[in-house]
Amino acid sequence: MLEVQARHRFTEFELNVDFAASNGITVLFGPSGSGKSTIANLVAGLLRPQDGRVVLGDRVLSDRQHDIWVPPHRRRIGYVFQDARLLPHLTVRKNLLYGRWFAKVRSNPEEFTHVVALLGLQSLLERRPAHLSGGEKQRVAIGRALLSKPDLIIADEPLAALDQARKAEILPYFERLRDEISTPMLYVSHSSSEVSRLASTVVTLSGGRVLQQGDPASVFGDPAILPMGPRGAGSVLDVVVVRQHSDGLTELSAGGQPLFVPHTPHAVGTSVSVRIAAHDVILARKLPEEISALNIVPGVVTQIHKGDGPGAMVALQSQAGRFLARVTQRSVQRLNLAPGTDCFAIIKSVAIAPRDIH
Amino acid sequence: MQNWLSPMEWQAVLISAKVAFWATLAITPMAFLTAYALVRWEFPGKTILNGLAHLPLILPPVVTGYMLLLLFGTQGFIGGWLQDIGIVLAFRWTGAAVAAGVMAFPLMVRALRLSLEAIDIRLEQAAATLGASPIWVFATVTVPLMIPGLLTGTILSFAKALGEFGATITFAANIPGQTQTIPSAIYALLQVPGQEDAAARLVVISVSIALAALFLSEALARRAHKRLEGL
Amino acid sequence: MFDTLVQDFEAETGHSAQVNFAGSALLARQIELGAPVDVFVSANQQWMDHLEAVGRVDSANRFPLAGNRLALVSSFPEDKSREVETVLSSLEAADRVAMGLVAAVPAGQYGKVALEYLGLWGDLRDRVVQMDNVRAALTLVHLGETRLAVVYETDAESQPDVFLVGLFPPESHPRIEYPAAAVGQSPTKATLDFIVFLQSDATKSRLEQFGFGPVKP
Repeated sequence: MLEVQARHRFTEFELNVDFAASNGITVLFGPSGSGKSTIANLVAGLLRPQDGRVVLGDRVLSDRQHDIWVPPHRRRIGYVFQDARLLPHLTVRKNLLYGRWFAKVRSNPEEFTHVVALLGLQSLLERRPAHLSGGEKQRVAIGRALLSKPDLIIADEPLAALDQARKAEILPYFERLRDEISTPMLYVSHSSSEVSRLASTVVTLSGGRVLQQGDPASVFGDPAILPMGPRGAGSVLDVVVVRQHSDGLTELSAGGQPLFVPHTPHAVGTSVSVRIAAHDVILARKLPEEISALNIVPGVVTQIHKGDGPGAMVALQSQAGRFLARVTQRSVQRLNLAPGTDCFAIIKSVAIAPRDIH
Repeated sequence: MQNWLSPMEWQAVLISAKVAFWATLAITPMAFLTAYALVRWEFPGKTILNGLAHLPLILPPVVTGYMLLLLFGTQGFIGGWLQDIGIVLAFRWTGAAVAAGVMAFPLMVRALRLSLEAIDIRLEQAAATLGASPIWVFATVTVPLMIPGLLTGTILSFAKALGEFGATITFAANIPGQTQTIPSAIYALLQVPGQEDAAARLVVISVSIALAALFLSEALARRAHKRLEGL
Repeated sequence: MFDTLVQDFEAETGHSAQVNFAGSALLARQIELGAPVDVFVSANQQWMDHLEAVGRVDSANRFPLAGNRLALVSSFPEDKSREVETVLSSLEAADRVAMGLVAAVPAGQYGKVALEYLGLWGDLRDRVVQMDNVRAALTLVHLGETRLAVVYETDAESQPDVFLVGLFPPESHPRIEYPAAAVGQSPTKATLDFIVFLQSDATKSRLEQFGFGPVKP
């Protein structure tokens, strides 16, 4: 259990947050400049908050009022940085074992073997960091943090510096971590697909403040919470690959509801998630006919949130799951939309890019 | 080699090596501390320290030697005190080592400073999150990453100490067998007509030592570079 | 000192002369390698001999310009009233004697010969601090870093806090003479004028004014 209460003023930005994170992966989610990395740094002790307290389990790590300050090296917090930060003069093996020298409870050889196997590092052990690809470096960084036997792991946008292929390579390791290792993790991200795949809990941030905290489905299904702004809003559906069609389309099934998307290389039968941007969804009251869009999903309006401008965010519940549609307020009026209204969501296949499917 | 050189020339070679070795060894910790303070600490008088450290680079060597004589001579402010505790520098090989060390000091500081500035502080932060206390971070991250700079600085300083003439002759004089180094021996030989051959022999030795040091530093730097960059 | 002579010469003849001061060894090497020099005045007979040997100086155009004496100076005022030999033979353990390089600098070479003549060299050789030129030896006495220095008579009075003990006996070392010569085999009219001027009585009295001795006593 991690409790963070902190206030810190920079010249052009003020952080003022109060949240708690329990076991599993807690994702700090928000656009750049929302204060995610600042929180990570003050939990790790790399930044001293002007006011507030950080408590990890039964240990008070910092408390301004009682003048308590535990320096970073005594916090037992493993930090996976965006840029890996492996020690260049040491081999992968020595990097992995670096934290072992200092750990109160030392990792045993079995743990080392286990972590090496978990992260697929066997063939890299005698190399130096300069010989590793970005993805390999990040895997070593994760292993290094794990082997320092931390009470908490912080991962600060560990995938942001990697290309799509590398991201796809690393994400499964975090999933295994979540499922196989009991250490809680604070995961900083601005990618909703990472949140949808990893988060047990998501804390959304904007402008240095916590917007909402909860499980990812409820946070993302809430049209009022748009940490990335309306243009970044979208929903994530869990789907299964059903068939590869000869005309280049891949057929997915979202809870039985078929979805056609441009070809994706995932094998038939694999579970993937697909992100649908809110502004790519058209709403209709009647089943449209003779329309080019291939995906027409019946659903029920659950919530409508009017924006400051002419737009509105409409949340739908369907067989495929909950998703968001961004339309104008004029359309809401013209279609007479209200919670409980039946309608159809229309999604063009080509609006879904390969990078929206993981 | 002993047959090829006269005893006086051979002595000069030995004294030079001894002087340069101890000069380099003695300034390394001081230069390290100075470079560290200049790069990592904020304190009043930082500019002054920086200026002082670079002074021997700017002043004519004879002036540096004269200032050393004023400070460390038997009548000098520090020299008198050192004499009371039994350390005499003036006109001894130790004095030559002090002069050579002072002249080499800025080169060592510069090399160390550059290597320290090149270290990404975020690597040290990463080591701290893994449990390393500041002293351990220093010993296992900072110092190892400074090794290329340390090598360059040491070899550059050694070469400078070997070739130092102006400050050495002013502070430690030119006493054969005691303070006569290779450059002061070459100088003495050139003062008398007909001794060009002996001078040339010492020049050959100087050049050989300098080239050997240079090759050694290049080789070591390449190795250190390989270790860090993995090329 | 030499500046004054050149000014006298320019005033008297209307010629103009440029002076380049440096150590004898350096100047001689420059001349040997063809530096455009008309007249060479040296503190060192060896280098003048060398230039004669390589043909850059004609013995016909060479003459002794001035003489000097070897002196012992001290940083201790009480040494003023004592004899040179007494002072040199009754040194304390820590006392040192500054000299020019005894193998290379004329003042050092003369000094070593003189100390050998007096039978003191054996005892003193380990106390001798050799400097690259005689002025540096004088500076050490001035700073009190060495008690004594063997210098030229003309240097002895020029520093404050330096006390003249006395002169070495003339017979203790070879005659100290500063040779001068026209450079090259065919000197110009102006060069010859300067040579004549340097040998004139006016020059002699000027030199004596600065403490230099006559060339032939």
